[in-house]
Order: sequence, then structure tokens, then C-alpha cells
Amino acid sequence: MSSKFLSRFALGAYLIIFFSYLLGPLLVMSLTAFNSSGFPSVSPWACFTFEWFTVLFNDDRILISIINSLKIGVGTVILSVSMGLAASLVLTQVWPRLRTTYYTLIIAPILIPGVVLGISTVVFWDKVGRMFGPSAELFFHNGLLLTILGQSTFIASYCMLVFVARLQRFDTGLTEAALDLGATHTQAFRKILLPFMRPAIASAAVLAFLASFENYNTTTFTFGNYPTLTIELAQKVRYGINPSISSLAFIIIAVTVFGALAVEAIRRNSVRKEAIREGKAAAKPGNILPGFLRGNPAAFVFVILSIIAITMVGTAQSHDPKECKAQVLLEKKAEIAIRIEALRQQRLIKDQSEARQGPDIFSTPDADAGDAAKTPSGSGAFGGVFAPTNLDSEDGE
Amino acid sequence: MKNNMIFAQFFKNNGLMMGSLLIGLVGFWVIVLVILPQLSMLDYSFRYNLPPAELGGPKDVYTLHNYKHLLYGAEGSSGTYNTVDLMVFVRTIIAAMLVTIANILMCYPLAYYLGQSKGSGFVRLLVVLLIIPYWINEILRAFALRIIFGDSGLINEVLMLTHLTTEPIDFIRQDIALYAGLGYAYILLMLFPMYNVIESLDRNQIEAARDMGASWARIHRRIVIPHAKPGIASGATMVFMLSAGALAAPQVLGGPSSLWFTQLVYQWFNDSLNWQQGAAYAMVLLLSTILIVLTLMRVFKVNMGDIGK
Amino acid sequence: MSSGVAVDLENVWIKFGDFVAVREANVSINGGDFFSFLGPSGCGKTTILRAVSGFLDPSEGRVLIGGNDMAGIGPNKRPTALIFQNLALFPLMKVWENIAFSMEVTGASAGERRKRADELLDMIALEGQGDKLPSELSGGQKQRVAIARALCANPDVLLLDEPLSALDLKLRQHMRTELREIQQRVGITFIYITHDQGEALTMSDNVAVMKAGVIDQIDSGHNIYDHPSTPFVASFVGENNVFRGKVSAVNGNEAVISTNRSGDLLARITPTQVGKMNVGDDAMMFIRPEALELGEAKPSAKTTISANVINEEFEGNSFSVFLEGDGGKSIKMSVPNLGQDNISARGENLSLHYDASNAVIMPAGDLASE
Repeated sequence: MSSKFLSRFALGAYLIIFFSYLLGPLLVMSLTAFNSSGFPSVSPWACFTFEWFTVLFNDDRILISIINSLKIGVGTVILSVSMGLAASLVLTQVWPRLRTTYYTLIIAPILIPGVVLGISTVVFWDKVGRMFGPSAELFFHNGLLLTILGQSTFIASYCMLVFVARLQRFDTGLTEAALDLGATHTQAFRKILLPFMRPAIASAAVLAFLASFENYNTTTFTFGNYPTLTIELAQKVRYGINPSISSLAFIIIAVTVFGALAVEAIRRNSVRKEAIREGKAAAKPGNILPGFLRGNPAAFVFVILSIIAITMVGTAQSHDPKECKAQVLLEKKAEIAIRIEALRQQRLIKDQSEARQGPDIFSTPDADAGDAAKTPSGSGAFGGVFAPTNLDSEDGE
Repeated sequence: MKNNMIFAQFFKNNGLMMGSLLIGLVGFWVIVLVILPQLSMLDYSFRYNLPPAELGGPKDVYTLHNYKHLLYGAEGSSGTYNTVDLMVFVRTIIAAMLVTIANILMCYPLAYYLGQSKGSGFVRLLVVLLIIPYWINEILRAFALRIIFGDSGLINEVLMLTHLTTEPIDFIRQDIALYAGLGYAYILLMLFPMYNVIESLDRNQIEAARDMGASWARIHRRIVIPHAKPGIASGATMVFMLSAGALAAPQVLGGPSSLWFTQLVYQWFNDSLNWQQGAAYAMVLLLSTILIVLTLMRVFKVNMGDIGK
Repeated sequence: MSSGVAVDLENVWIKFGDFVAVREANVSINGGDFFSFLGPSGCGKTTILRAVSGFLDPSEGRVLIGGNDMAGIGPNKRPTALIFQNLALFPLMKVWENIAFSMEVTGASAGERRKRADELLDMIALEGQGDKLPSELSGGQKQRVAIARALCANPDVLLLDEPLSALDLKLRQHMRTELREIQQRVGITFIYITHDQGEALTMSDNVAVMKAGVIDQIDSGHNIYDHPSTPFVASFVGENNVFRGKVSAVNGNEAVISTNRSGDLLARITPTQVGKMNVGDDAMMFIRPEALELGEAKPSAKTTISANVINEEFEGNSFSVFLEGDGGKSIKMSVPNLGQDNISARGENLSLHYDASNAVIMPAGDLASE
């Protein structure tokens, strides 16, 4: 009895640790979007604010990069879904002896490091461009085109895997039956295979779009004059940070959560419909809406989250952090005064401590006041990773 | 002759138009997007970095110069090895392996739990929760860890509040943040292949083994793990290749003094604008990781067809 | 009613790499016939069907439909329609859309298609079911939809690839009759593939029996059963008792075979071998269980077998008696049920005899392995 309890406890603890590792950082990052503190942190909590969303929506570079990401995403979806579909169809008919070789070739792009794909794409099309002369060179140096080509190289493999899974359940007899009844090959493809593949095409397209949207390793070599959202984010994360990134992250996370839950709800519904159609479950008319909530924790969470989101947007109108901020400013001034006093006294006692205050110049008082209050020694608190010098030295060698 | 027949049968099965479209798309992908770019990168890696005017001129000849640079450093500093770059390379490979092993250990219990407790709503919810971070941008995930691991990040705050430490621990400089970030970045690519194969394991097999008196350890060693091997191999291959080739996590989470090999490639390419040197480094990365994966696949007797399941 | 279109296979060989799936097939099928290919699985009968429907080309030889060489003509251009073993109904289309698919691809309007589909639904007694999905139909209904879909294309030749194999016994027997009726009504050529001899014998005008890529015999069902030309056909079609031995005497269309265990036995020579068998040849003699009789009559000693009863089974319409002949030879006899309580007692010694014209003798060869 107690050993069973122990194993359940161990499982619970393990699940909690695993999911905190997975979700905790995202949660913390989301929270930092609402803290008025000048760089992303949850503690000390200064003021609850929406100002970082305003900063975000006024950032032209971000908006432009989102448009670039969308363009590239659409191009990548079209190219990689069609290549992936073709490759999976060829896989089902390729000569058995060639099968492994062929499969290795079309799965390899997943395993090739993204930086290698990016470099090889740039190098190759640069060469092609030079072969066609200066006017073509511009065309082949187009970041939009290069990024679509570079990303599709490996995203097509993901699509291919989705299609292969679906094709395993396809009865090739259906295509033969259509041909036998007089359909041309194109008609058989359009009327029989394509409708069968439609769900897989939809999921492959979503997959391809998301993969394109979040790609960094390949795009960082190919983007040229078309930085994607991910590239812009990377620039911001590396060279200058304020919580407007957190607010963007919060939006992305929220959209993802809603998307994932919606997909899950749709999936459950269609599974149930299928079961009803095949007579495995009794048809219960009208169970779509109430049943959506009943016995479906995902949908339950979905509804709770919607309510939270709506209340948050509602309070956003009425919430005014000005007063709070003024209060915080006062506190900070007091803290700084205390700190300066403390430093003076320290200096009197220890001359050496002077040297350790060096990095102070890089931090704004607004950002670090809270930490300073808690770590009166002052050392280390300012040598943090967020200081721009450290970031520069990281890449500048 | 035989090849001719294969093609004839292919076009007979697909029709001329569909057949050409299929062959065209696959050919474009495999040849134009995969093979030719890799070959031209290989070609680049054996050339000097010349100004455009000298391309095709007498100086434009093949050379091992770029590879020598990785081994011995810049020309002139003859004799000694290029310890800085070589150390970065070795560190990258070893760290990627450790990250892979850590991921296997972390994911196996969860994959087993999810795979064998079929269908319950709670398990579905867990799977949905798993998918969510999977679709959050790699950069943002690294950024999230940075917030947590920073000097005034959550972890240091908590440690100091509880007086476990008096000074913030520099997780970044000690690369703890980097390893946590790499493990975090690709953990789901380990979990899902494992989960898929374990889900396909017939529960009766486990019960039969238990019925015959096998201990839990033995059941896992003799039944579950052999069954899950293709999934583990698939996940391990992906995690290793992607960790060794990661760029975002090292750039965001790496300490200032320790580089990841991809960062060297990036610097040659984007900062020094020496594409040839960058290509050579990329080539070394590609070939060595592939070699390691193939060797391990041979050692653990895994087929290529298992990858990607 | 049309007289139907003839199908001819001329010296057809079909090879997959080194494997020969069909060897030198020469078949001519009369227009309007119900013709069956009968053989165990893997004998190449489906391969022949695919060569006729155009999914693969013979490696050698010609396929002629209505006298026209079909080389290079794809399945969508041939006047054939195929009913697949698993029926291959399109799962995402409604029943009527399935039936009228052959019209859809030629661009017929929805109205025309619906009209024709309804006519065919009437014919197969599924009126009003056109708007269902195939998954909502029962096995027999799906079967009939597949037939209607094939007939909608107005084929000259209908090809059926074991279409009844997925049905249960009752339905299968019912569908045999129905198929035969449909064939007689539409009057087109049916080519039917099966491993079930009952189906082949009941429905077909002519049957080709195949073994490992080779056609052993082409004849009417009656002749296949009564006059098998090879040991394989004799043992595959129906049940048979086989006796091995050497020919000891030949007299016109009759011969005597000396067996080790059952002595000399007299039988007629199978028609294709008359005049070709010589004394001393290895031979086999086949006797059907129902051709063996009990009795005290005193015919020639060369048509009498003595055996001990091992076991008796009641089959409903008949009794099966399992016996052991001299030297351990196992023999089966079938006696019609005419109200007897039983036929024999266990261990009883019986004297079996037969009419020499009901037993058939032929050169030794491979038997069908059951």
C-alpha cells in the first residue's frame, strides 16, 4: 500500500518537475510583460502595466518583420507541401532496392544542421546568380527567395513524414478503380487521392508555416533585406532588451495555447463523429456543445483561459499604472539614497570595494534599483548578462 | 535496360503529366535544394577567399588552406595547433552528446507514462501542454531561460531569498544556462518519437512478463526498451544533430568566453565575410556529426528507416 | 442483348524481375461467356486479370479484347471494368457518386449522373440508398454497389477479382446466383478470379485451372470435375482419392495401374492422354469419394478395393466414411444420406468397388497441397 503511494508520489513529483521545466520559463516570461520594470523580470515586481504592449505595437521593425515572416511562410508552405507530397508519393512506388537510399536522401535535410543548410543555400544561389550575369544576381540574392528555398529544403521533409503516415492507410486500389472507370491520372489524383490527403495537407501546411515562422538557424544566413520576426527577435534579445519582447512572447504563447486547444477540441469532435458514423457510439444529437465541455479538460482550460483573457482586456481600459509608477519612483529614489549612503560608508571602511563598482555605468538606475536594495554589497548585481558589453564581446571575437 | 523499365512502369502508374510533375518536384528538391548546394559548399570550402575581381583568375585554385586553419590556426602561427577552435569543436560535440543523454533519461519515464496510460483526458491534456512550448519560437524559449537564469533572474532571487547563497550565481558564465537551454530546446523531439513507439507496445506483453515474475527493471530492459529502440534512436539522432547545430541557444544563453562551434561558423560567414572559411567549418561540422550518428547507429543496430517515425 | 466481346491471351508471359508470374498463357474467351480463373493463392490468376485490365503489360505475348491488341493502352482506355477484391469503393463519396464516377470523369452533368445512378440502384435493389456513404452499407450492399459502379461504365468485359471472398457463407452463395443472373441479363463477358472451386463450377461457362503461373486445363466446369487432365486439377477441384503406381496394361482408352498397396486397378485414361500412355509409365489414378460403392456385387477384381473402416462422419446430406486400405492406404468414401442410421461399424472390413468409367488415370505429377 505504502509503496504504491510512494510510486504515485514519485510520478507526481516527476511530472511537476518536468512540466515546470517545460512551461515555467514561458510563464515567467509572460509575466514579465506586465511588469513596468525596465528590463524583463518578475521580481521585484514594480507595477502592473500594459505599456510594453504599446511599445511593441509602435515598433515598425517588428511589424515589418511580421509581414516578411508571413510572406516567407506562405511561400514555404506552398513549396514544401508540394515537394513533400510528391516525395511521399514517389516513396510508395520506388523500386524496393532504391528505397532506403531514397528515404535517406529525403529525410537527411531534417538532420543537416540549420546553419549548414543556410550557408549552402546562400553559396549555391550566389554561384548560380554569377553564372547568369549581374541582372540575375540581384534576383538570386533576394532574401525572400533564398529564405523560402533554404527553409523548404528541410521543412519539406517534415511534410513528407506527415504524408507518408497518411499514405500508409491509403488503398492504392482506389486510384486503380478510378483509372479503371475511365479517369485520367490527373483526375484520379484530384478526385481520389487529394480528398483523402486533405487532412494531412492541412496539418502539413500548419506544420510548415509554424516551422518557417520560428526558424532561426537557416534564416539567419539567407534573410538579406527581409528580416523575419525571429531574426528581429534575435537582434533584440542579443543587443538590447526591454519587456516589449516579453509582451510579444505573451501574445505568441496565448495564440499558441488557444490554437492548440482549439485543434484538440476539433480533433475530439471529429473522432466522436467518426465513431457515431461507424455505429461504434450511439448518436446523441445535440451533444456537440455540452459534450464539448463534459469530460474534456482541454476544453475546460480553454474556457477558463478565455475568461481570464477577456477580464484582462477589460481591466486594461481602466487600469492606470501612473500612480503606482510614481510611487515606485519615490521608493527607488529613497533606495538609491540609502544605497549611496551605504556605499560611502563602505568606501570609508574598504578602499578595495571601489574597483568592484565599475560596471555600474552600464545599468540604468530604473532597471536595477530593486536588485540593489536587496544586495547591498552591490557586487555582481551589475555585472549581469544583460549589460550590453557582455553581449557584444560574445559575438565580437 | 532495367532502369528503363522502372521508369516506364512509373509513368504507366502515374500518367505522363502527374509522373513528370512528381519527378520534377522531387528532382528539384533533392538535386537543386539538397545535393547541389551541399556540393557547392564543399567546393567553396577548398577555395581562397578572393575579392570578386580575382575570381576565376590565376589565384582561384583549390586549397586545403581553410581546413588547415581549423587545425593549425592562421598561417604564420605555424607549428602549434589551433587549440581555441579545436577546443570549441570538441566541447560542442561532447556537450551535444551529454545533452542527448540527459534528454533520454528525462523523457523516458514520461514517454512510458503517457504511452501506457491510454486515452484518458488527463493524458490528452498533458500532450497538449507538451505541444505548446514546441511551437514557441526557439529564440523566445532561450530568452525565457535567460530571464530565469540571469544574475537578477528568478532562480538567483529565490536562492538569495532563502539564503542558500549570498551572491548571485553566474549561471550564464558557467554554461549552466546554455546546457539547460539546449536540453530545453529539443526535448520534445526526444519525447514524441519515444511516446509514439511506447504507445504502440501491446500492454499485454508487459502484463505477461509481470505474470511470469519479471521485475520492473527487467520488464523495461527486456521488453519496453527493445520495443522503444527505434523511437529512442530517432529522438537521439534528432536531438544530437540539432544540439550540435544549434545557434540560437548558444547566442542567447552562451557565456561570453565559451563559444559553440556554430558560432564560429556564423562569425566567419557574417562577421568576417569569409564564406570559404565558414563553408569549411560548416563542412567539418556536417561530416563529423553525420559520422558520429552513423557510427552510433551501427553500434546500436538501428536502421535509417527508423529515423523520423 | 449483345453477343459480348471476346478476350484472347496469346502466348502471354509475365515476369517480375527473375520471377515468372505467368508462363505461356493461351486462353480464348468467347464473347458473353462467364469465364473463371481458378487456382490457389499466388498462382498468378490476379496477375492475368491485371494484364487484361491494363494495370500491367505482359512481358511477352499479346492481350486482345474484341480482336484488338491492347498493348500500350492504359486501364482508363480499355473497355473493361474491374471489381476489386476489397471492392475499392471511394469512402469519401456518396453511393450514387461512386456508381456514376465513370460518367463524372467524362464530364456528364450531375443530373444525368444522378439519373443513371438511380436506374442502377433500382437494378441492384438499393433504391433510395444513393445518398448514403459506402461505410453505412452492409457487406452485400457494398458488393452490389461495386457491381453497379462497374456496369455504369458500360464495359464490354467485366473483371471480378475474388469479389465474394469477404462475405459470409450464406451471402456468398446468394451472391453467386445473383452474379450469374446479372451476367445473363447484361450479356457481357465476365472474367472471374477465384480460389473457391464451388464459385467457379456453379457460375462459369468455362474454367481455367492455374497452378504456379501455368494454366493446367481450360474446360467447362463439368469436364474439369469429371475429366481432369492433370493430377493437380484432379486433386484441387473437388475431393479425390489418389492411387500411385505404374501402368501395367493399356487397352484403347482404358489402362490398368499396378499399385503397391491396393493391387491392380482399372480406369479410363483422361481424354488428353489417350494414346500417349505406355506400359511402365509412372501414373496416378483418381476416384471421387462419391464414385466408390459398397456392395456384394461381383464385378471385375480390378475395380474392387478392400479396406477397414476407421471413422465415420455425418455431413447432413451424406456420410463420409474414412477407411484404411491394405498397406495403410487412406481412402474416403461418400454415401448419400437416404435415411440410413449409419453406414458401417468401426473396424469393419468393407469391399469397395467402382465403375471404371468413373475413375481416371493419368501420368504422375504434382498434387494440390491442402
